[in-house]
Amino acid sequence: MTGWREFDQNPVSHSAAHHLTTIQFLLDEFGYARVSDVARHLGITRGSVSVTLKGLRQRGLVVEDEHKHLGLSEEGIRIARGIHIKRILVQTMLRDVLGIPDDLAEQDACKIEHLVSDYTAEAISKFLQKLSGIESAESISKLFDDLKKEMAAAEISFPSEEAQKFSDRLEQRLTEEEDQ
Amino acid sequence: MNQGISREDAIERLNGLLAEEMEASMRYLHLSMMVQGLDRLIVKKVLHENLEETLEHSEQVAEKILQLGGCPAPKIHVEFAQQRYSGREALQEALLFEQAALDGYRDLLERVDGGGDVILEEFARQQVSVESEHVAELKMLLEE
Repeated sequence: MTGWREFDQNPVSHSAAHHLTTIQFLLDEFGYARVSDVARHLGITRGSVSVTLKGLRQRGLVVEDEHKHLGLSEEGIRIARGIHIKRILVQTMLRDVLGIPDDLAEQDACKIEHLVSDYTAEAISKFLQKLSGIESAESISKLFDDLKKEMAAAEISFPSEEAQKFSDRLEQRLTEEEDQ
Repeated sequence: MNQGISREDAIERLNGLLAEEMEASMRYLHLSMMVQGLDRLIVKKVLHENLEETLEHSEQVAEKILQLGGCPAPKIHVEFAQQRYSGREALQEALLFEQAALDGYRDLLERVDGGGDVILEEFARQQVSVESEHVAELKMLLEE
C-alpha cells in the first residue's frame, strides 16, 4: 500500500484546488477576482492567499495583471473546471447511489475532488449516466459489463464534452433542489 | 463622508488582522528555519526581528479588540511548503504576507477614516505607517 504517497505528488493540493475553483467562480460570477476577494470567499487571510498564489503563478496556472486582478491560464481553467466537475460527480454518486445525506455528500466530495483521477471521474460520469436509464434489476449487470468495456477502450481527456454537459445538468438539478 | 463602522464590524476586521499578524509570525519562524545559503545568518536575523515585530503587532491588535469589548479569536490557516529557501526567496515570500497585512490595515483605515472613532482611526493610520516601512525595507533588501 503505497498509494497514499501519491497524495504528495498530486498536481494540486486541497488548498490549491480551492484557490483555483474560487478564482474561476469569482470570474464567472463578478467578472474579476482579487486576492482580497479570494481570501473573503475562502475565509482565510490575504497572506495565506498571496503565498499560495505565488506557487500557482510559478506553475503557470494563475496570472495577475498590473491592476492585481487575477486570472487563470488555459491549464488553470482546465484544472479548475475538472475539479469542479469531479466534485459534482462524486457528490451525486455518494448521494444518489449510496444514499449519503446531501450535506455529508457535499463535504466528502469536497475532500476528495482534487484527488480523484481523470480516469475514475470519467468512469463515474459514465456510470451515473447509464444508471439514470436503468429500468430493471437485470439490466444492472449489463450496465457494469458495458461500463467495463467502455472504460477499457476509452482514451481519457477529462473533462470530456460529454462529462461536462452531464455535470452541468447535475449541477442545475442540485441548485434546483437546494432552492426548493 | 465616512459613516463610521459598527463595533461588530470593527471587531471582525481586527480579528482578520490578528490572523494576518499571527500567521505572519509563524511564517517568519518557519522561513528562519528553512533559509539556507551564504547569506543565511544575515537573513535569519532579519526574519527574527520581523517575527518579534509581528508578535508585538498581534498583541496590539488583540488589545484593541479587547478595548472594543470583543474577544481575540483569529481564524488561523497556515500551510508550510516543504522546501528550503535562499535568502532572497525567503525575503520575497515575507514581502508577500507583509504586503497583505499592509493592504488589510489600509482597508481598515479607509473604513474608519473620518467616521468618528478617532482612536481606531489613529491605530489604523499608525499600523499603515509601520507596515509601509516594513514593506519598503523588504523591497530595499530585495532591490525592487
